[in-house]
Amino acid sequence: MKPHRRKKLGSILFIALGLSVAAGLTLYALKQNINMFFTPSQVAGGEVPKGQHFRIGGMVKDGSIAREDDSLSVNFVTTDFISEVPIHYVGILPDLFREGQGIVAEGVVDTAGVFQASKVLAKHDENYMSPEVKAALDAAGTSTEGSLPSEGYKPQY
Amino acid sequence: MWVWFAKLGSPKWFYELSTKWLPWLVVATVVVIGTATVWALLFLPPDYQQGYTSRILVVHVAVAGTSLAFFPLMAVAGTITLVWKMKLADMVAKNAAALGAWFSFITLATGSIWGSVSWGTWWEWSDSRLVSMLFQFFLLLGVVSLRSALEESDKAAKACALLSIVGCINVVVIKYSVEWWNTLHQPASPVSIESGSANGPEFWIATALMILGVYLFLSLSLILSTRNEILMRERRSLWVQELMSTEK
Repeated sequence: MKPHRRKKLGSILFIALGLSVAAGLTLYALKQNINMFFTPSQVAGGEVPKGQHFRIGGMVKDGSIAREDDSLSVNFVTTDFISEVPIHYVGILPDLFREGQGIVAEGVVDTAGVFQASKVLAKHDENYMSPEVKAALDAAGTSTEGSLPSEGYKPQY
Repeated sequence: MWVWFAKLGSPKWFYELSTKWLPWLVVATVVVIGTATVWALLFLPPDYQQGYTSRILVVHVAVAGTSLAFFPLMAVAGTITLVWKMKLADMVAKNAAALGAWFSFITLATGSIWGSVSWGTWWEWSDSRLVSMLFQFFLLLGVVSLRSALEESDKAAKACALLSIVGCINVVVIKYSVEWWNTLHQPASPVSIESGSANGPEFWIATALMILGVYLFLSLSLILSTRNEILMRERRSLWVQELMSTEK
């Protein structure tokens, strides 16, 4: 390689490296702002300022969904298997909403400690399977959804 | 190796070689995308949560994954342009930008449609995966307009090359956004070889085929548009004029 080309290639690599480091540090500094939601543990730990509008993400606790018969009002509990936060919502829930499902809700915590959601979104985790496979896994008790069966399992919100 | 490298930089050599390979590439693209589409529409099992909505992910995942290849491709071509001043590399980079913008757009559109059904929302500004992908779309449009804004083609090539190298940082951010931060978007699925388990072959074979097909389509579109670019830029050279006179 000719010297002037080597020099040019070197300066390009230097610029690329410098920019990557700058971008990396910026993103690292903004970590909390880029995160989409707080976990129930963070809410319980008092990391969210009182009265602030924010998003919470967690699993819908098994057996916690209570609907009212005469309205669209629904109460459920969201959990990260460490802490729990009760949520109240009035409106239409997404198709994927169910017990054991990861959800993200937007709203404020009221004085009673209940999260008053103005919006509820359902998450889909990275596992896709047919209903037959799901049924077979459930029967075998190896499904990862909604429980913490094994060590090293990272809950998907 | 250097002879081969120098040869690749010759537009004429590329044009003649691609003429020979083009029919095969067309056949391969049509067959693979066709097979993957039929498979996805007729044989892909429903997901236990989403039902048949999951079929849109075959297209979404394939196009989204492929759209991440554009900035690295343009950065490599741009570096070759900056260091070795190879004409062909700049022609490829120029056409890749517009194509990449389309790929990003299709990614956003299919993802949005899927999200509206599954998540309950078309768009979430707070999700880093969604926003970084939108950023890539705008960056690619930026490269396209930068090219047309600068009249001097040599200067435009250099500016676009630099922007392409910078854009690679965003590709890393898109890829790892779902792991670094918590998002609504799900992380990449681990592939399972075992049939009858989560993410088993019945789910990913169609997607794998579609990824191959989309890459073939990318190569085909890029080669076709680069051939046009070669004819445009080399229109005064002897071999292009000879080619034109024989084709008439």
